[in-house]
Amino acid sequence: MNSSATTIDNFTPPPKRTIDRVRQGLAKRKAAEKRFKAYGLIAIILGLSFLAILFTSIISKGYSAFQITYVKLEVFLDPAELDPSNTGDPEVLSGANYGGLVKSTLRSMFPDVTSRSDKRALYGLVSTGADYQLRRMVMNDPSLIGTTVTLWAPADDDIDTFMKGHIDRDASESDRRLKDNQITWVDQLVAEQLIEKRFNTTFFTAGDSRDPELAGIWGAAVGSFFTLLVTLALSFPIAVAAAVYLEEFAPRNRYTDIIEVNINNLAAVPSIVFGLLGLAVFINFFGLPRSAPLVGGLVLSLMTLPTIIIASRAALKSVPPSIREAALGVGASPMQTMLYHVLPLAMPGILTGTIIGMAQALGETAPLLMIGMVAFIVDIPTGVFDPSTVLPVQIYLWADSPERAFVEKTSAAIMVLLAFLITMNALAVILRKRFERRW
Amino acid sequence: MGTVMELQTIEKPKTLMKTYNDTHAEQTVTRENNSLGSATVHRDDRSKTVGEIEAKNPRMVCRDVNVYYGDKHAIRDVNLDIGKNEVIAMIGPSGCGKSTFLRCLNRMNDTIDSCRVTGEIMMDGEDINDHKIDVVPLRAQVGMVFQKPNPFPKTIWENIAFGPRIHGLANDKEELDEIVETSLKRAGLWEEVKDRLDQPGTGLSGGQQQRLCIARTIAVHPEVILMDEPCSALDPIATAKIEELIDELREQFSIAIVTHSMQQAARVSQRTAYFHLGDLIEVGDTTQIFTNPKHQLTEDYITGRFG
Repeated sequence: MNSSATTIDNFTPPPKRTIDRVRQGLAKRKAAEKRFKAYGLIAIILGLSFLAILFTSIISKGYSAFQITYVKLEVFLDPAELDPSNTGDPEVLSGANYGGLVKSTLRSMFPDVTSRSDKRALYGLVSTGADYQLRRMVMNDPSLIGTTVTLWAPADDDIDTFMKGHIDRDASESDRRLKDNQITWVDQLVAEQLIEKRFNTTFFTAGDSRDPELAGIWGAAVGSFFTLLVTLALSFPIAVAAAVYLEEFAPRNRYTDIIEVNINNLAAVPSIVFGLLGLAVFINFFGLPRSAPLVGGLVLSLMTLPTIIIASRAALKSVPPSIREAALGVGASPMQTMLYHVLPLAMPGILTGTIIGMAQALGETAPLLMIGMVAFIVDIPTGVFDPSTVLPVQIYLWADSPERAFVEKTSAAIMVLLAFLITMNALAVILRKRFERRW
Repeated sequence: MGTVMELQTIEKPKTLMKTYNDTHAEQTVTRENNSLGSATVHRDDRSKTVGEIEAKNPRMVCRDVNVYYGDKHAIRDVNLDIGKNEVIAMIGPSGCGKSTFLRCLNRMNDTIDSCRVTGEIMMDGEDINDHKIDVVPLRAQVGMVFQKPNPFPKTIWENIAFGPRIHGLANDKEELDEIVETSLKRAGLWEEVKDRLDQPGTGLSGGQQQRLCIARTIAVHPEVILMDEPCSALDPIATAKIEELIDELREQFSIAIVTHSMQQAARVSQRTAYFHLGDLIEVGDTTQIFTNPKHQLTEDYITGRFG
């Protein structure tokens, strides 16, 4: 009793009450908090503005690619030209000179063009695609021979560029791609309403081409689709199986530690290395076809596997142990526990990881260059063994092309790729929301 | 027998006891004086379990059970019977090994990598601790209810039906429906959930969730039910319901319950085992343990001197 009394006597109160000290520092604390918030806000604004710049630049450059200039031609399908001996033989028809018909039509539209060089300039108004278009019409319906058909033929890429205002008509003739007389003809066509811009279906249905007006993204899109299909079919089951084994069944020892470190390191390996590996192993050793989505998918699987494994392991780890105990407690075997309870709960995380990995694979270019998917491929692939290219490589190829008209095509292809990516990410969000469960 | 000899030579943590003795030195002396001539065993003597470890009609017989977590000796030479159709309560201060011992009875300790169990736990003439024993049928026979209600994040129906389905106890959905209904009825939950069997089990209240977990356990028709502090996360009303349930379930099952509440142990159990720092100190009829403990440590604990 005595001793405790002395303690109280000796207790000297601090010079200031706690509340005073707290108040003193309060302004400083609040200022720090405000600063911290401001930094975050600045970071976000910066990020958003860069994104806005990126989108504006791409869209402003690329939107015009969704339209293309067509020229109206009234072509007389001259039997003497197409099928002189009237055989009706498809081979004769397919080998006929459709280009000549297009040219004669153009000549008849501008009868005052006579000189050789002027004629060549005149023929340059219309794309060579007009020939193929005409042939397709005749091959589909040979009875058209002898009649006059109306054909909206794609204009040459330079005309298209001019119509879109990318060529300055006031520049001197030597400084622009179009000659003065070509501009006069185009003006004449515009006045007669024989030339107009329409929605560019070719861009979404055709494969690549050296002629910008005939080039399309579809071949690359299909190639990307097949490649991703192979990637998904390989990497998802393998990665989930690996993650489940490592997380749920593998003993914790030095070997599993080594495996874990290796997986984490593989995720950081530059993708071009995987490309070289794919070239050495899949193409040179196993003799798989070059430029094929199969090999592309294999290589991209190698690249996405670590990503999906790491995401899946994290998802499995986050399933509360009480769920495992509950299942084991009623006598479920480890596999049943895994299959009925842990895996479904981890699925949203696994799917998110998978889609992030797939989005990464969709945008990957470097490893595909190594295995020959950078080739110029016109045909649309019909399977995983057909040579093909993919969207990012197509962008790379177009960006590399000298023609002015490929600039807008490049941006348009980037927009298509971004649309794919946004769709995939949206899918990830939807899947997450749909499968998410609380416990 | 060789293993048992080896284990007995392992030293007990003297340091812990020493500090305890130092701080309570005075008290101990007076107690010793008071208990002169009586049957009370001194608190320092933890080597031998006091009381009747054997049940009249044993379902599980545990002999010389030792559990190690890595180097830590968590349970020392525990000998205890789990009787048929009786509730045995395990009490003791935190970290005394009662939950660890409970988890030995259906080998839930297998899920902990560093955990090692030695000794014999006999059930139907087999040592369940034998590595040849398959844990799946064992856990179907010895069910478990955990401290925190842990329903599966699935529908109420799925929660109950999971066990019977994986064990093939029902041939079709109608039989499963019947099992679900009877299990929920026996767990006293049927009236509350019969209209929402297709709703998630996680949407129920804490007490309902725990009864759902009990229903899930009895749906498999185990013979022994282990309960690890089943009411620690529940309010008194939910606790009362679960206690009532335990009393009813005793008619068909053997129940081992770990609890921190001595009142609960006194209310629901017929036998009580008191654990202290990894030793089984005293076993006996619940009334005897709570009215006339024979070991000093038991008396200290139940009278609230520590723990």
